[in-house]
Amino acid sequence: MKQRPWLFLLPALLLVSISAFIPLMTVMNYSQLTLLPGTQPYFAGLENFVAILQDPAFQGALGRQFLFSFLVLITEIPLGLALALCMPKDGPGVGASLVLLGIPLLIPWNVVGIIWRVFTRSDIGVLPEVFEWFGATYNVSQFTGDAWWTVLAMDIWHWTPLVVLICYAGLQAIPEEFYMAAKIDRASPWKTFRYVTLPNLRGVLIIAVLLRLMDSFKIYAEPFVLTGGGPGSATTFLSTYTSRMAIGGFQMGRGAATSLIYFFIVILLSFVVYIIMLNLGQGAGNDS
Amino acid sequence: MAEIEVRDIRHVYDQGSPDETVAIERINLTLKDGTANALLGPSGCGKTTLLQIISGLLQPTEGQILIDGEDVTGKPPAERDIAQVFQFPVIYRSMDVYGNLAFPLRNGGVPEAEVESRVHRISELLELDDILRSSPSNLGPELNQLVALGRGIIRADTSAILFDEPMTDVEPSRKLTIRRRVKEAQQEFGITALYVTHDQHEALTFAEQVAIMKDGNLVQYDTGENLYQSPVNTFIGHFIGSPGMNLLECGLSHENGHAHAHLGPHQVPLDSALAPSLDPSWTDCQVGIRPSSVTVQVADPHEDTGYLPATVDQVEMLGGFQIITATLRQTDVEVKARVAHDFAIDEDASVWLSFPPSDIRFFHDHEAVPA
Repeated sequence: MKQRPWLFLLPALLLVSISAFIPLMTVMNYSQLTLLPGTQPYFAGLENFVAILQDPAFQGALGRQFLFSFLVLITEIPLGLALALCMPKDGPGVGASLVLLGIPLLIPWNVVGIIWRVFTRSDIGVLPEVFEWFGATYNVSQFTGDAWWTVLAMDIWHWTPLVVLICYAGLQAIPEEFYMAAKIDRASPWKTFRYVTLPNLRGVLIIAVLLRLMDSFKIYAEPFVLTGGGPGSATTFLSTYTSRMAIGGFQMGRGAATSLIYFFIVILLSFVVYIIMLNLGQGAGNDS
Repeated sequence: MAEIEVRDIRHVYDQGSPDETVAIERINLTLKDGTANALLGPSGCGKTTLLQIISGLLQPTEGQILIDGEDVTGKPPAERDIAQVFQFPVIYRSMDVYGNLAFPLRNGGVPEAEVESRVHRISELLELDDILRSSPSNLGPELNQLVALGRGIIRADTSAILFDEPMTDVEPSRKLTIRRRVKEAQQEFGITALYVTHDQHEALTFAEQVAIMKDGNLVQYDTGENLYQSPVNTFIGHFIGSPGMNLLECGLSHENGHAHAHLGPHQVPLDSALAPSLDPSWTDCQVGIRPSSVTVQVADPHEDTGYLPATVDQVEMLGGFQIITATLRQTDVEVKARVAHDFAIDEDASVWLSFPPSDIRFFHDHEAVPA
């Protein structure tokens, strides 16, 4: 009889093992082998990990990845929240706004990349043309700065609506009484935002930050289509690096090790951010 | 401290649209300075709407709100010096209890030294001293509601405080304590208070005067005793008291200065003081009698003593007393009577009921006929 609960869990366990556990174990296995096409695999121990951590290309990609995710978060979260605050609370405007916001979210990643690729093409693209009017030059395949801010703008365009939707749902859930009380307590609009809106949005903001953090850490298709990771390695992020290692370089063992390091970084980072956000504004903030 | 006058207030939601709803027909009400008042009525009668109009959260369609004679109708809540405690505790979660209490003062630019002394005064009164540094998220709804109350009364210029069913989230066993502290605070500061509830027990224990609303109208504004003893109409008679007043459809006869109410074949003598106000041509008449005023006898009184024969339908034991529901013989008139807990009676038994004339209230067209 005691075994019965396990029996009920079996389908779920089976699914999880097929979808996550077995692949992960396989990757762990690969990560300790030297796997080159046409040769016998042999055990390499931690050699792959050491080699990757010492690879300047990996370090560069990691650094860029952190910078990119950081920029994404500090732009998309405040911008998304601000837009959500501007959205109508009821009436026909709600539906229209939601549809407009939904459009970027409905487009597949690589298509977003292709759209922006067309925008930025030096022969027919609209962006270089606009820059030319102002006497400036713009070329994503030539200038690091242009490539960077274009990838960033693309991500903001693509994913800020998600933050808006999450924040909007959170705002709708705040009972009207909180705002009534703030009015009676003579709170200024800023203080109402600071002490009513923000604390009540804490939960959804944590979700938005974590989603955007993890997602931006995995960015792959858009810069790949737009710049191919260039110019040079200017927009090569962790995922681009990993796939290049495993598929482009035919080094499956190295690729597996990179994936594991990558996986570990994402988990650790999400955990740290979650803990920080959970403790943010708890019982503190009597500084009015 | 202030006198609040509600003058000709009318409120219609979504005026002009197909969803138009009249929440308040027309209300006039004056709350005297420093008094504890309650606003009682069934759900959806417009209580909360009236409250929000007084606090300024809602602009009335018509009419005025005067505080100490000054018209404040167009003013926002912040300029009215009125505090409000909501149905569920509204607290600022990112601040501790101290920060919550200090919030309205700091918003008003009160110097920090005074903030501290006011916070301590209020926390002492509401017995919140020990939890000043706690985060409200860790406290129960009762304490949070007290914090919300404290925030309302902490401003030195608070002239009135409005409560919108503040006990909804409070556990029944804690209600008494919370209500006692609310009442103490009200008396300590002599604040004009208006307490909205649909629980008559809460209303009657809190308030000196209770306003009863129905369908957007103010029906009666009076002391608890008067509401109980002299309801202005059958609605109040039935609404106040548990169970409410017996309201029996009756006929009326009027001879030689003696008036009688007719319940089928039975005659009930009415108070002689009432007789001059009665008109025998009336048709839609009701006699009202409180269940506690009905005298019940199990033995047949035999002679004509004014006792009416009835059959017991139901006996409900309510702890300290019992409620008997009986039907008068040869009629379908049901009467509820309150008897002692040890009164021996069974269902289907015969009883004789008597209505003392001085305890009878007479209604014509559901409006009370004054004695």
